[in-house]
Amino acid sequence: MSARSPQIRRMTGLVLTFSATLALAGCNDGSGDPAAEIGPNPTLPAPQQYLLPPMHIARVVGWKGNETPTVAQGLKIQAMATGLQHPRSIYVLPNGDVLVVESKAPDADPITRPKTIVTRWVESWATSGGDTGPSNRITLLRDADGDGVPETKSVFLDHLNSPFGVALVGNDLYVANTDAIVRYPYKEGETKITEPGTVLTELPGGPIDHHWTKSLVASKDGSLLYVGVGSNSNITENGMEAEKNRADILEVERATGRWRIFASGLRNPNGLTFEPQSGALWTVVNERDELGPDLVPDYMTSVKDGAFYGWPYSYYGQHVDPRVEPQRPDLVAKAIPPDYALSSHVAPLGLVFDTGSNLPQTYRGGAFVGEHGSWNRDKLNGYKVIFVPFSDGKPNGMPQDVVTGFLNSDNQARGRPVGLALDKAGALLVADDVGNTVWRVTSAGG
Amino acid sequence: MTAQENLRATAQIARHPIHPMLMPVPIVCFVGALLTDIAYAMTAQMMWANFSAWLLTIGVIMGVLAALAGLFDFLSGRLIRSRAPAWPYVIGNLAALVISFFNALVHTRDAWTSVVPTGLILSAIVVVILAITGWLGRGLVYRQDAGVMK
Repeated sequence: MSARSPQIRRMTGLVLTFSATLALAGCNDGSGDPAAEIGPNPTLPAPQQYLLPPMHIARVVGWKGNETPTVAQGLKIQAMATGLQHPRSIYVLPNGDVLVVESKAPDADPITRPKTIVTRWVESWATSGGDTGPSNRITLLRDADGDGVPETKSVFLDHLNSPFGVALVGNDLYVANTDAIVRYPYKEGETKITEPGTVLTELPGGPIDHHWTKSLVASKDGSLLYVGVGSNSNITENGMEAEKNRADILEVERATGRWRIFASGLRNPNGLTFEPQSGALWTVVNERDELGPDLVPDYMTSVKDGAFYGWPYSYYGQHVDPRVEPQRPDLVAKAIPPDYALSSHVAPLGLVFDTGSNLPQTYRGGAFVGEHGSWNRDKLNGYKVIFVPFSDGKPNGMPQDVVTGFLNSDNQARGRPVGLALDKAGALLVADDVGNTVWRVTSAGG
Repeated sequence: MTAQENLRATAQIARHPIHPMLMPVPIVCFVGALLTDIAYAMTAQMMWANFSAWLLTIGVIMGVLAALAGLFDFLSGRLIRSRAPAWPYVIGNLAALVISFFNALVHTRDAWTSVVPTGLILSAIVVVILAITGWLGRGLVYRQDAGVMK
């Protein structure tokens, strides 16, 4: 594709947009089999452009009584903490204390055109049961006896700016707010940090802050931090200037705060973590919308130093996106496809490898992925936690459902999974930002 | 009933005809949208595409109101209907409105293809239609006194 002349590409785009104009968006979006879009070689249909893009978000009903998600055979699940305020990610401290990052989106993007008003209105259906109270803080759960029921729950850090990622290196605790990485002094056993934080480096934040979650992980030796910075738009509709240093993973020197772009073209990278066998950095990425129900598959991938993964100019290698102008054939030629597709619009936001010893042996070394769930296709996709088996540091085989039942039988959302973590005992923790719960998944026998 | 009375605007407020009062708004919006579409196609600066989206949305809303007032005049005035340019004026303006509605939807797409090529082409077609119906409408009002208060 990269070898085609701009004229031919322009003509293809012209034909594409015209035929899409003639085909009115109906009720059925004609989506195919989501399973065809999973794995290292997903089937990519031709892109389509809508007059009315499908906007179907599961209505929120919340968890009632003792309802819980459903888990795969050999597992059991219980709520570790409820009544949280939009918990988005989880970090486990060395002493076993669990940090729950409760976070809300920063001030909404400015209204640039009538569409902003409509999408805001639709998205407001999908937020957790209304505006529930103070968020943008980190809550500490202490479960010293390991029974999954914390003995204490305390506000660990408060008044943060839409935080998401957390990483501890020695006694330095780093919190990735939406606009900066902030360092706090941490002493083991503390249940509250009162000292003010120090900014290590600022990150691309407002005034437009479309993809605002900044995922964070420290290198094994602790000298470097990796931070995911999502794009500032679906596909550059806020202008190219707004995308400066975005859709990137940045590598930050912990000692100085100096940073460089480690990898680029990753539209919204989250769940940054290291694969235990290869030691490679992995991420899950939310790909672009409004090209059809089966485009573009979200993915998980190892992140290669200096690599370009396509956004905004292309996807899955050299599949050119006609919506970007000016186009950059030179960059498209460089774009590499990601390792493993997860199906379209599933919105993966959490990733953790099973390095513990609690869960059944079949999960050892593989990856759990938290899929927040779709909005841009009629048939809902995602809304579950899946497991991707790994061998030799690479995905090996089809995913399995691990935690489901976030949707009820009427396709209403009782919860939506986001960030994942393993606790000290090796149980899988799932942040549920719509059910306002942290779920704990353990071996059924143990 | 005289012939003149039957050419009157029946949609009126305090003896001011509504259709001619509203009609300039969608015309200005749709002509403006063509200009901002052209500016976007030449610069790829999203600001111009956003202007187009606002102009089309406001144009369609005001166009619907203008069309309702105009149709009221047209359907309640047998003599207006009988004038030669009346039918093409009505049909042309309604076509421009329907095309502009779809054009507004095309403009909800993200970035380049919200304008180029489909949006730009639709904007141009609408302006051509409005030039013709504007010519006919002038004839109806200034030569044949349709919708005029006397």
